[in-house]
Amino acid sequence: MGMATFINLTVNGLSTGMMIFLLASGLSLIFGLMGVLNFAHGSLFMLGGYTGVVVFAHSGSFILALVSAMLVGVSVGWVVERLTVRRVYGNAIAQILITTGVMIVLNELVKAVFGPDIIATPVPPLLAGSWAIGSVILIKYRLFTLAVGLVVAVTVHLLLTKTRLGMVVRAGVENPEMVQALGINIRQVFSLVFAFGAALAALGGVMMAPAVGAVNPDMGLQNQMLAFIVVVIGGMGSFLGSALGSILVGLAGAYTAWFLPEASLAVNVLLMAVVLLLRPNGLFGMGGE
Amino acid sequence: MSEPIIRTEQLTINFGGQAAVDQVSLDVAAHTFTSIIGPNGAGKTTFFNLLSGELQPSAGKIFFKGQEITRLPAHERTRRGLGRTFQITNVFPHLTVRENVRLAVQARAGVHYRLLRHHRKYRQFAEKAEDLLESVYLGDKMDLPAQALAHGDKRKLELAIILALEAEVLLLDEPTAGMAVEEVPGILELLGQLKAGGEHTILLVEHKLDMVLSLSDTLVVLVNGRLLAAGEPRQIMDNDTVQAAYLGGMPL
Amino acid sequence: MARFLRKPDSSEVRLPGAEDAGDYKEGPARTESPARTEPPAGTAAPHGRAKVPGLGRPGREVLLWVSGLPVLVVLILAVLPLLTSSYALFNLMDQILILGVFAMSYDILLGYTGIVSFGHVLFFGTGAYTVAIILKHTGPGLGFLLLAVFGTVLISLVISLVIGYLSLRVKDVYYAMITLAFAELFAIIAEKWRGATNGADGFSFRIPHFLEDPILFYYFILVFAVLTVILVRRFIHSPTGRVLLSIRENEKRAEFLGYNVIRFKLISTLVAGVVAGLAGIAWALQQAFVSTGVMATDKTIDALLITTIGGSGTLYGAFIGSGLTNFASDRLSSLAEHYPLLQRWHLIFGLLYILIVLFFPGGILGFFRGKRAGKGARGYRTGLQKGQR
Repeated sequence: MGMATFINLTVNGLSTGMMIFLLASGLSLIFGLMGVLNFAHGSLFMLGGYTGVVVFAHSGSFILALVSAMLVGVSVGWVVERLTVRRVYGNAIAQILITTGVMIVLNELVKAVFGPDIIATPVPPLLAGSWAIGSVILIKYRLFTLAVGLVVAVTVHLLLTKTRLGMVVRAGVENPEMVQALGINIRQVFSLVFAFGAALAALGGVMMAPAVGAVNPDMGLQNQMLAFIVVVIGGMGSFLGSALGSILVGLAGAYTAWFLPEASLAVNVLLMAVVLLLRPNGLFGMGGE
Repeated sequence: MSEPIIRTEQLTINFGGQAAVDQVSLDVAAHTFTSIIGPNGAGKTTFFNLLSGELQPSAGKIFFKGQEITRLPAHERTRRGLGRTFQITNVFPHLTVRENVRLAVQARAGVHYRLLRHHRKYRQFAEKAEDLLESVYLGDKMDLPAQALAHGDKRKLELAIILALEAEVLLLDEPTAGMAVEEVPGILELLGQLKAGGEHTILLVEHKLDMVLSLSDTLVVLVNGRLLAAGEPRQIMDNDTVQAAYLGGMPL
Repeated sequence: MARFLRKPDSSEVRLPGAEDAGDYKEGPARTESPARTEPPAGTAAPHGRAKVPGLGRPGREVLLWVSGLPVLVVLILAVLPLLTSSYALFNLMDQILILGVFAMSYDILLGYTGIVSFGHVLFFGTGAYTVAIILKHTGPGLGFLLLAVFGTVLISLVISLVIGYLSLRVKDVYYAMITLAFAELFAIIAEKWRGATNGADGFSFRIPHFLEDPILFYYFILVFAVLTVILVRRFIHSPTGRVLLSIRENEKRAEFLGYNVIRFKLISTLVAGVVAGLAGIAWALQQAFVSTGVMATDKTIDALLITTIGGSGTLYGAFIGSGLTNFASDRLSSLAEHYPLLQRWHLIFGLLYILIVLFFPGGILGFFRGKRAGKGARGYRTGLQKGQR
């Protein structure tokens, strides 16, 4: 493998990692703060992708597609939280069951409206193509997703560490009772975080679509699983953990895919298994029972 | 004087830089009634969690009946005779009261891995469960689902469960917490009977000082995770340091 | 139907499902004494004294085996071939029964142990592929079929042990995700290992000759279903099965009863896995064909839907759910030509599922037993609080 290929693969891996990160970070935060494992998170990812397709087809503006995807994410996330998730706080099994139900319903709705087949999503013309630097070819869209991912990561990190809301969220991850005792309406914070996580997921979806070239109703579950692997590796509730985990998973997938395309998921599952054996709580996990 | 049934050596656990239990060394003699008192947050429940195996200590050792159990998992400790009740009642909510205790009897009998029909051995477990429930005055409520019981009765159920386990050492974590006033004498009577029976070693965490004083052979005071004093109840109560550190901030 | 199910307490007739207490009377019916509530579906029955004096042990044994609605249903199913000769119907019944067994195996995990697995299909698929591959390479002999059964059981045990060891030591939520990942792994192996599985195209194979007759096959499946139900019920009512219930109810308390919870969860996984594998074998035989569809996560989700809608923690609920979904998909498929929305019957079931999880955790069977859960979703295992994770 030459240097050029290596750089190419690295960029690809990082960019995939970034999009998974968008999905995984929301998942991780929601779980860390509320103890809710949102099995419908991938569906929000998928909704983002489909929203992007529709909006882009009608408006031709990628920016608009991105924004509307996030809006859809926020709204659907908000509704889901209020209608279903809210009723089952504190009950882990019921949460899994309910969010799985939401996932089924959302997936079926999309299949009903758009059909079960894939819909092609080409890269927007402005971001299409690649740059050549010597023998290294850098695909523009991949760089774009990398950039967006980094921006989001930094923004969320700043939000978490520099704002009052962020501090509440982080404190809530450590000790929800105390936060409530301080008079803060923890329920509203929950709803906000859930909706925000949903928006991130949707953004991930709309970004991922042109990268793989199509949307399909199953893209939610497939990527959600990678996101799961990321949070297992990185540790639930840890933003840093999901960032590092995403990078790891993205890179591992990219490098493996070059040698043995079939094995990329297997490698990631293997990674997860190893982490589980050595550190059941993930590399940065909270909750150390 | 024989080996203490429970012994801890410099038992410590740290949470985020703070020691919730700080180098506690304690000997508990068999067949005695020891009460652990201290202000809220003094580490009493954490200490119980360490003893029962729910938490792993950061440092120190625990000995039970002369053997070290520091690294032993919780279920193993239970099987060796360490029974625990919890501050928040911990029973099987949808199962009947009888089934709750029957499961404990079955656990004690070690009949775990039989995949055959259970009604053959079933009878004697159920009978033993019923006897135990009668002895804690829950005989008329055996068919109710556990969650339907009044709070005080749930506490009694938990007591019946650990008695069914034939636990030699009973760790009772605030058994009267949240109880209505009229329910307390019932528990007190049961505890008195247990003590009088002379077969169990009892460790009690409680806030009700009159209850503690009337039942205890030994009083242990924990403040900020540290063992402040241990000894005869009257002596402890008269101790100036204890008075200042503990009774000053204690809701009586 | 409700009246039939709830006999006065002096009789020996028992209700199907987890409330069976052997030869002991049921708790009083709800209408008779409001102060005593019946335990929700899937719990231990109140154990009163035996109420059939004079009947010695053998008599009681017989009563254990022969009573109630399930027997009636089995009898009806048994005479079905006399009433009709529609091969399509037998096909449908086969599917209902096989998927019912699969869902029942899922119920062992979900309804009785309180474990949510997203990887259950891998046992099903492994069973299907095992029998298909063996029969394809050896020929449609009965001996080879038995070999396949034996092989499936063995493989299921090994897989359960490995995956169980990796994933049972962590929290519920991790477990769900990890099992999903493993299932997807198996699905990918099935797709990519073309040499063995022929990938997504799949392959057909010859089944033993005596099974080729649809009516004989139907009886074969019926017997299979009845046998597995009897065996699983035995397991559920065994001391081990009872411990599983306690784990579902309050894992912490079970631990503090002295039970090695992880080991018991492993046992539950083993049993459920083996039964699922057997269902997979039956499925492959029924289709005489396998493809990656038998490894698809969709099937796990179907099992979840079926079990929950039919009634988790009841064993029979799995069959009710299976009957409902398969019947619906069968009928609605033909209607779907006129009403395209009906093609997405999964959507309807998904919504029904959500409603049931929120408001009727007992499912259909639970509902008919009068267990309209006032507790809603909290009917599920509540021993796990946020702080405890």
